[in-house]
Amino acid sequence: MRKPLSLKIGISGVRGIVGDSLTPRLVASFAGAFGTYAGAGPILVGTDSRPSREMVKQAVIAGLLGAGCTPVDVGIVPVPALQLHVREAHAFGGICVTASHNPIQWNALKFFGPDGIILRPNQAAELVDLYHQGVYTRALADDIGTVRRDDTTLRRHREAILRAVDVAAIRRRKFRVAVDCCNGAASLATPAFLRALGCDVMEYYTNPDEPFPRDPEPTPEHIVELCRVVKLADAEIGFAQDADADRLAIVDETGAPLGEECTLALAVRHVLRRTPGPVVVNVSTSRMIDDVAAACACPVVRTRVGEVNVVEGMARHQAAIGGEGNGGVIVPAINPCRDSFVGMALILEALALDGGSISAMRARIPTYALVKAKLDCPARDIAPALRALQDRYAAETVDLTDGLKILWPDRWLQARGSNTEPIIRVTAEAPAEAAARALVAEAVGVLEGLVRA
Amino acid sequence: MRQLKIGTSSVRGVVGESLTPELLVDFASAFGAYCDGGTVVIGRDTRRSSAMLRAAALSSLLAAGCHVLDLGVAPTPLVSFAVRALGAAGGLSITGSHNDARWNAFKFLGPDGALLNAVNTEELLDIYHARDFIRVPWDGLRGWEPAPDDLLPRYLARLLAALDVAAIRARRFRVAVDFCNGAGLPVVARLLEELGCALIPLNEEPDGVFAHAPAPTAANMRQLAALMKHLTVDLGAAINIDGDRIGFVTADGEPLTEEHTLPLVAAHVLSRQPGPVVTNLSTSRMVEAAADAAGQPVIRTMIGEGHVMGRALAERAALAGEGSGGVALLPAAATFDAFLTLGLVLEAMAASDESLAALAGRLPRSAMRKGTVACPPNLVYHVLEGFHEHYQRARLDLTEGVRAAWHNGWIHVRASNTEPLVRIVAEADTEERAEEMFENAMTFANQAAFVTAGR
Repeated sequence: MRKPLSLKIGISGVRGIVGDSLTPRLVASFAGAFGTYAGAGPILVGTDSRPSREMVKQAVIAGLLGAGCTPVDVGIVPVPALQLHVREAHAFGGICVTASHNPIQWNALKFFGPDGIILRPNQAAELVDLYHQGVYTRALADDIGTVRRDDTTLRRHREAILRAVDVAAIRRRKFRVAVDCCNGAASLATPAFLRALGCDVMEYYTNPDEPFPRDPEPTPEHIVELCRVVKLADAEIGFAQDADADRLAIVDETGAPLGEECTLALAVRHVLRRTPGPVVVNVSTSRMIDDVAAACACPVVRTRVGEVNVVEGMARHQAAIGGEGNGGVIVPAINPCRDSFVGMALILEALALDGGSISAMRARIPTYALVKAKLDCPARDIAPALRALQDRYAAETVDLTDGLKILWPDRWLQARGSNTEPIIRVTAEAPAEAAARALVAEAVGVLEGLVRA
Repeated sequence: MRQLKIGTSSVRGVVGESLTPELLVDFASAFGAYCDGGTVVIGRDTRRSSAMLRAAALSSLLAAGCHVLDLGVAPTPLVSFAVRALGAAGGLSITGSHNDARWNAFKFLGPDGALLNAVNTEELLDIYHARDFIRVPWDGLRGWEPAPDDLLPRYLARLLAALDVAAIRARRFRVAVDFCNGAGLPVVARLLEELGCALIPLNEEPDGVFAHAPAPTAANMRQLAALMKHLTVDLGAAINIDGDRIGFVTADGEPLTEEHTLPLVAAHVLSRQPGPVVTNLSTSRMVEAAADAAGQPVIRTMIGEGHVMGRALAERAALAGEGSGGVALLPAAATFDAFLTLGLVLEAMAASDESLAALAGRLPRSAMRKGTVACPPNLVYHVLEGFHEHYQRARLDLTEGVRAAWHNGWIHVRASNTEPLVRIVAEADTEERAEEMFENAMTFANQAAFVTAGR
């Protein structure tokens, strides 16, 4: 069998393993393609905290200079802060050097248009075409720009969010907050952000020069340390971010992780109670959203997985809030992208106005069990396997927005090919864990039979 | 003209044409592998495009596991000194040197602080062509930092130790220097201060927008020469962008050709520091006169600093240089060093208590003619064979092309490394004799190229 691919060039950017597929040549060349795509103007360049950030960033700068762009180095910044800065500064675009929640040996380039939004599939396809064609804008010596530095990204981002929430109410509560930044891109931003909201902040893993202390994905099994300190230190709430700070997980005052799916559900509940309207989420997001929206008599629109799909859906339906169940809260009026800082501000505002504890607020939303599995499957075999699985559930309600989703009144099952790996992800949600497990086991059993055959 | 020149010790190109980020990261990756992931010192000249070359170099050297120390804007001799002072595995000087602003280049330096010689360059190119790069995993990356602040003072101390400071200070020289908006000002300002000289700077803004073509030829020193006619100064000097070449103007505002730089230094320094002089085949024979007076031999090599310095280090020579104005006094310098050369010329003036014009007047009379003849690369060999026969009765040196010498002059015919043509240089003691030799060679070359082409 072939060695698993370590390079992924696709609509979500360029991703590879440092020392293997992610070479200076590849990065400089892709940056040149982006410079050609975006035009000869200022391009913001930020990074997360990975040790390979400087190697990748310098190749990006070389590629952008070669294409006649002016690279603006904004340093280590959360992805959503970079996106906001691109839009505010009227830059021609932005590149973030981050592999998001992937393990530390990976790094990647994410590309943003002048609106600060990650390139849409057709735009990304044009970029990849430019790369493959290899015909770039090449600046002659007189047209080579100079590298600028800009350290206003974090301040701009903080101020934009503070303008959008009831800062006075939050400050009055003087929340005692524990935060785990995973030594990631939020390390320099989050403590100052929470202090600006009047919080008493206990910060953990906020040194971007240290390695990730845990898997960057803020799932319950990865944030046990935060759970322990929230309890020991008597914090009212704990926040965990991923390495590029687009996703947020919450720990309640008893030290229990609420699960990433709860972040969006709580934020949506808070916003809809004040300003009812449609909610846009992806097809894999928990049905807690349906319950929360139903309580406010608001419709739920579901899109394909992927931030840009949700953002586009929100624009189409003029939704005030939406996001992805993995902890990605989107409020377009503040920042049209997943933003863990927007998530923190909304949750704290909800607590301040509500007056109670985070566990009490959590208790007002129904609980579901979400069970996930994945199985290896060559990319070419994914679609036939999913069609065969659909036949197995022919009698049920089927949603083909993204992969295959089977719906029952109080539960659902989904099987879809990954955007980034040759695997099928199988997810089920049901009121009780046993039921969800049974749904997953059944689907995996069927798929295994097909893939092996 | 070809827009990419992969020569001994360097890769040069026109920015945006041949010199792309992709080419640059690949060459820097090859150099990172050549340095085996060790410490590499980088410096750059004042060109705006140098920022692009720097970013490409940083990324690739880091990816190869190198630890990078960045001197920022720094002339090549300082990069060379830093490599030796820090015990680095190599150095990368980012500079288009004497080329015009459209160009830029990587100059590669080995652990001895010298530009890579022919053999080492071949190894670097083998790595480049085989793409035999080192790629370290994420936890093998070592990062970069600014080079230590004390390197410039330590480099100055090295220059001063090689000079008779007291003798120069006593003269309180006034020196006009044309920096051509390059990287030389910080070194020259402190050096002249230490030497008790007054500096009258020209084109000193290090903005990379060149006031004139950077090579320190007599033609490019016209602005400096014109300025000097209105000033009372003892010496004028023009330094190229990265501080490896220097040309001089007399107190009266008469520019000397760049061919004078090496013989001026040789005439002064060989008596106190005896040893062979190494230069290339096309350099003026004025240097032989200076070396003869001190009883020292002159060794001639192929064209290019990598060849000349490589041989000079092997021969433990006292002095090395080329007719382009690049001079190195060994062992103080491992590359051509315009700053040390400036100090040595001031020292020569101080020691002899004579003006530059008087020192230059003591060199033998020299008339040089240089030209080219178009010749397809596949015919060059036949043309040179023809010259070999044509000059049977002269003293011949076949190190590179054909160099024929007589008692009153010499002629050097060689293939260009970079363009489809034959280069011809002639020198004699009178203009008439130089012209005669030169015209004879040009006619012969044209006929040979024509006849060969017609065969």
